[in-house]
Amino acid sequence: MNAPRSHGRWKGGVGFLAGLAGPFFAIVLSAQTVAPLPPPTTLKKMSLDELMDLQVTSVSKRPEKLSETASAIQLITDEDIRRAGATSLPEALRLASNLEVAQVDSRQWAITARGFNNVFADKMLVLVDGRSVYTPLYAGVYWDVQQTMLADVDRIEVISGPGATQWGANAVNGVINVTTKSAKDTQGGLIIAGAGSELKESGEARYGGKLGSNLYYRVYAAYSDRGDSVRPNGRSSGDQWRSGQAGFRLDYDAGAANGLTLQGDGYTGTMNQFGPGNIKTNGSNLLGRWTHQVEDNSDLKLQAYYDRTHRSIPGSFTQDLTTFDLDFQHRRPLGPANDLVWGLGYRFVQDDVINTPANAFLPASIGRASYSAFFQDEIALSKDRLHLTLGSKVEHNDYTGYEFEPSVRLAWHPDQKQTFWGAISRAIRTPSRIDRDLYSPAVPPYRVTGGGHVVSEKLFAYEAGYRVQLDPQLSLSVATFLNNYDDLRSLTPLNPPQAFPVENSSGLRGRSSGAELTAEWQVTGKWRLHAGWTELRVRSEPQSGTVDRPTRDSIARDPNHQVFLRSLLNISASWECDVTMRGIGPIPMSAVPSYTEADLRLGWHPRPAWEFSLLGQNLLHDQHPEFNSPGTRRELQRALYGKASWRF
Amino acid sequence: MAVLKLKSGSTRCRHWLRHLGAGLLGLALAGLVSPAVRAETALSAEYQLKAVFLFNFAQFVEWPAQAFPDPKAPLVIGVLGKDPFGPYLDDLVSGEKIGDRALVIRRYSRPEDLAGCHILFISRSEARNLETIVARLKEQSVLTVSDADTFTRQGGMVRFVMENGKIRLRINVDAAKSGHLSISSKVLRPDTLATPGKD
Repeated sequence: MNAPRSHGRWKGGVGFLAGLAGPFFAIVLSAQTVAPLPPPTTLKKMSLDELMDLQVTSVSKRPEKLSETASAIQLITDEDIRRAGATSLPEALRLASNLEVAQVDSRQWAITARGFNNVFADKMLVLVDGRSVYTPLYAGVYWDVQQTMLADVDRIEVISGPGATQWGANAVNGVINVTTKSAKDTQGGLIIAGAGSELKESGEARYGGKLGSNLYYRVYAAYSDRGDSVRPNGRSSGDQWRSGQAGFRLDYDAGAANGLTLQGDGYTGTMNQFGPGNIKTNGSNLLGRWTHQVEDNSDLKLQAYYDRTHRSIPGSFTQDLTTFDLDFQHRRPLGPANDLVWGLGYRFVQDDVINTPANAFLPASIGRASYSAFFQDEIALSKDRLHLTLGSKVEHNDYTGYEFEPSVRLAWHPDQKQTFWGAISRAIRTPSRIDRDLYSPAVPPYRVTGGGHVVSEKLFAYEAGYRVQLDPQLSLSVATFLNNYDDLRSLTPLNPPQAFPVENSSGLRGRSSGAELTAEWQVTGKWRLHAGWTELRVRSEPQSGTVDRPTRDSIARDPNHQVFLRSLLNISASWECDVTMRGIGPIPMSAVPSYTEADLRLGWHPRPAWEFSLLGQNLLHDQHPEFNSPGTRRELQRALYGKASWRF
Repeated sequence: MAVLKLKSGSTRCRHWLRHLGAGLLGLALAGLVSPAVRAETALSAEYQLKAVFLFNFAQFVEWPAQAFPDPKAPLVIGVLGKDPFGPYLDDLVSGEKIGDRALVIRRYSRPEDLAGCHILFISRSEARNLETIVARLKEQSVLTVSDADTFTRQGGMVRFVMENGKIRLRINVDAAKSGHLSISSKVLRPDTLATPGKD
């Protein structure tokens, strides 16, 4: 029964494989030395931003430029976040046009790349400083507790497309990698205070200093009080919430040879909800990382972290999740043309749930271990011109045993301004507790039965892309993909034609395709434009022999089109005016209409240490919906926010 | 029954992928024909780029009229101490003009000889004498530039900082003001300002 499916998939890939293999056989190996800077005549024409973006020495990680990678990657810089006036991590993620970002209510967000979006978008891996924040209970991210202080974020890498070879399970549709600044780069004090109509009040304070000649620290604390979303009829949905987070980071930086980082955060939050009582969250984490440069092009990384989260949802469940994770990575050249990275990982997760009569995770308490190994070899078929990257991750989990996540990537740089790339990869989403262990109600007879047979969701992805720097001021990129999914999670009626009871199973397959276009244009020294356009088609249907009803129509809730336009203008040395617009297509499956919205920020720096800004969000409508069917839908109101920040 | 109902989409995709594959192949072959031209340079990329920054400063900084003997007098870029740039800097500015002014490179070994200089790069070899040098140039219209760690704290105007292998700027705006220099907003921006803790 699998034959027709596989046939279709392979036929789709053959032409592509041929295309990839062609250059592989045709190319003549040539030895080149270091990648030099452009010639002086070109350098003299470049803008300050471009000059500051040139890599002149290698950093401990792979000294690869963003414009050269063989994947669809978008970078959100600290300056992008500041200029957008983002007040939360999800708002900052709206800057990546390869993501679907939909605000569901005052605290919940649906965020994914390349389709199957949901509040628990389960095919997207999210890491904060190397720590996974993907919760294995629900297979998704609780965005309301990801409150990293945005002023200390160095960059956010958003990779659309599979990253499983390096990042492992659940990096299926993409990876979001949030990196905060080293304590060395956040020396001194910073106080930010703001107030507004939706973000009622917020305060952040950070102080960084030096403890020894090479030892730097920072401590921070942040608080926010957010207002409610509204129902379609304009009445409050009563979901206002408050949260606070504090943390520290220590960096020992003895040149490139050795680096030590110790960092930790703790948070607590109270979210109002309609019904029995408030949702309470708290959590803490501690992460240590050692990096060691063995030689110029060889380095080691050893990282360990502990993460604990608690969430009680009255009327639903209470969860305590504890994670311990150990990760080792080694990069070394193999001869002149091979750059090998390999690594080992171990993770233990203890999940304790207090169930309620409405639903139950059975067993209530469970400990799960997983371990993994990966290797990736970047082969310079022609130095600086053609790079082939081969690799695979192998991991073992308690639900499905061994899983393989191989990939092949090819990047070709005909000159320093252009990159063509292509990739074929396999990625998996391993079952989570919501797939296997969720029963509703808590005692028989069940309406929903846990899926003892749920297997991993599998993705086979074909990607191709092109990037070009047309002139120093204008760059374009396009990434295209074709994704084939098997064993997507479904609900199977146990006594058809009756709709209930249903059992969780792996009965769907899907296919998606799309294109992501971006353009960046430095119009003048003071004015920069970003544009993004993303097209997406997602379909799913039952696999052979599966009777699948409820999930069949609801699994893909994605807009077919998204258009973004952003303008960053320095009116003068002390005034900035920034506009962000987004046009999002309709989501027919949940009857969400299309919408266009705009954000406007005005920033003023009367003195170098001071910044005042005024931000208007979702200015075009009194209120608008972004996700969910009309019955359960919450809508977002126009918001105004004022902020002052002081460095000392 | 297992046939996907995505037929038209998959056929289109297959054609599209074939074309793309053929395209990639053609381009790869085209790439083979064009020879790889690479200029080998002895000077490190770091100092090539720093030289370009010095050239940029000449365009984005305004000097008071009295800093020049006459309206057509050249703009002097000086290097004090051990010269890290070599001929690269000379080649970079040769033939370039800012308005009516030509650009001239001068090397200095002693702070006493600095008269007539407009942009001064202070080499690491002078790191111990920074304070003396800066004091000597106080209230003179000389844009002082260095990559020494404490430079802006000691009254220097522009410091080159290495961050993740890239060059960033830290500009001490008060020092520039006391030298009656006006720096364009293309260079003097929130991210290049030296502030306590980020100097």
